[in-house]
Amino acid sequence: MLVQFYNVSKIYPNGAKALDDISIQIDRGEFVFLMGPSGAGKSTLVKMLFREELPTRGQIFLASRSVVRMKRSDVPKLRRNMGIVFQDFKLLERKTVAENVSFAMEVVGASSKDIRTRVPEVINMVGLKGKENSFPGELSGGEQQRVGIARALSNRPLLLIADEPTGNLDLNTSQEIMELLFDINRKGTTVIMASHARELVRAARKRVIMLQNGRVVDDSPNGESLL
Amino acid sequence: MRPGSIIYFFREAGKSLKRNRLLSFATITTVAVCILILGFGVLFTINASNFMNHLESDVQIRAFLEQDLTASQISDIGRKIEAIPGVGSNKFISRDEALQQMQKDFGRREYDLKETLGKNPLPHTYMVKVKNPREVSQLAAKIKSMPGVYKVNYGQGTVEKLFKVTRWMRIIGIIFIVLLLVGAVFLIATTIRLAIFARRKEIYLMKLIGSTDWFIRWPFFLEGILLSSLGALISIGILAMAYGSLISKIDNLFFIQLVSDAGTIRNLYLVLLGTGAGLGVVGTWISLNRFLKV
Repeated sequence: MLVQFYNVSKIYPNGAKALDDISIQIDRGEFVFLMGPSGAGKSTLVKMLFREELPTRGQIFLASRSVVRMKRSDVPKLRRNMGIVFQDFKLLERKTVAENVSFAMEVVGASSKDIRTRVPEVINMVGLKGKENSFPGELSGGEQQRVGIARALSNRPLLLIADEPTGNLDLNTSQEIMELLFDINRKGTTVIMASHARELVRAARKRVIMLQNGRVVDDSPNGESLL
Repeated sequence: MRPGSIIYFFREAGKSLKRNRLLSFATITTVAVCILILGFGVLFTINASNFMNHLESDVQIRAFLEQDLTASQISDIGRKIEAIPGVGSNKFISRDEALQQMQKDFGRREYDLKETLGKNPLPHTYMVKVKNPREVSQLAAKIKSMPGVYKVNYGQGTVEKLFKVTRWMRIIGIIFIVLLLVGAVFLIATTIRLAIFARRKEIYLMKLIGSTDWFIRWPFFLEGILLSSLGALISIGILAMAYGSLISKIDNLFFIQLVSDAGTIRNLYLVLLGTGAGLGVVGTWISLNRFLKV
């Protein structure tokens, strides 16, 4: 198992209950959607994966290592095993496409030789060949998200976490991004994607975990609950 | 740490300096102003302290001897005084010398003091300097108790007041400098926070990608040290010019002797430079930590 949640609850200091006794297991190589209305707890669950938030109760394991008991100094190592794709892309506006990707490798201390070969590789993989020297402001929303995905892939993650990656994109572009994510998953990377784009998720025929009011209300292997 | 990372740190620091010219300038100016005020504060304190040392070391005990002592009794008393622990130097002034001195002080040759008074009314005196001016009253009491000494004078009352004043002046000086330092830290931290705030998105991203805190910190530290050292250098330049011209104008003009010993001044400037760089580090540390809690 790659990801294990055991009886995880999260209550924020203001008293809001974001997650209520969640238990989930995700295997290597899976593609999993986290669905549910706003405020259902998707974002909190995603943030716990890379330990931006800690659970109030319960245990979380990533590749059999406890995320909860982990020392603060081990958190960077945990995060290097995952790539994160954001709804708002979070690209650095003053860096080019290639620099945005190489930045992610530099800050984890990758060798310059590795950076030189890997950056064109992932840019190619997301279909942005020829745009290496463009700035994010010169790209369409879909292209910007491709840069975000290239950046997430640069450090060869075990797990790709995408938090509403199509939230700011139109339907056609969203479908292209989904194809790209499926492709990455086929090549072996586990993908967890939070979304509330019902049509998109239904068309995918992948595992869907439904959240509502901080609880898992449904977990279906091929998204049957959405049919 | 890999050499590639070190190059990265310097490159990032350099880029950030180029990008945030206005904030870099603000940081340099802030540090320069803080160090300038601090420098003047320290110079003032050093000089005040120096002046107080002078005042204190001027304190001496006059031991007046009885009139009918023989020469050997007089030198005996001198030896006994010198034997008291804490006594620095001891100088004998005979009554004739004392009269001559008095005559000189009056400054008019045609006015013959001895003739006017009929005979020399002045006693033989020992002028005793003490090693530690604070022991002056105890030593004076000891000397007074010696046979052959009929009176001691060390400015009783005034001396105690002087010590009280100088003690308070020193405490106030230290408090003043500490307050300036604390103020400087917060002022600089606030300025640096602005520079870091402009890059909070980048820091957040680095944290989520898996950068270690130190990897994120180094470029900021380099930047902070560089900018604040530059600010400190500017203020030291201004300080050196101002103080140098003050020394050349004031020297030998007043009874106040400014501290002008080259070694002391150089050390002061080095300390100020170090303080400037240190303020940059502390300021960066305070400002940055908040953004690293992701």
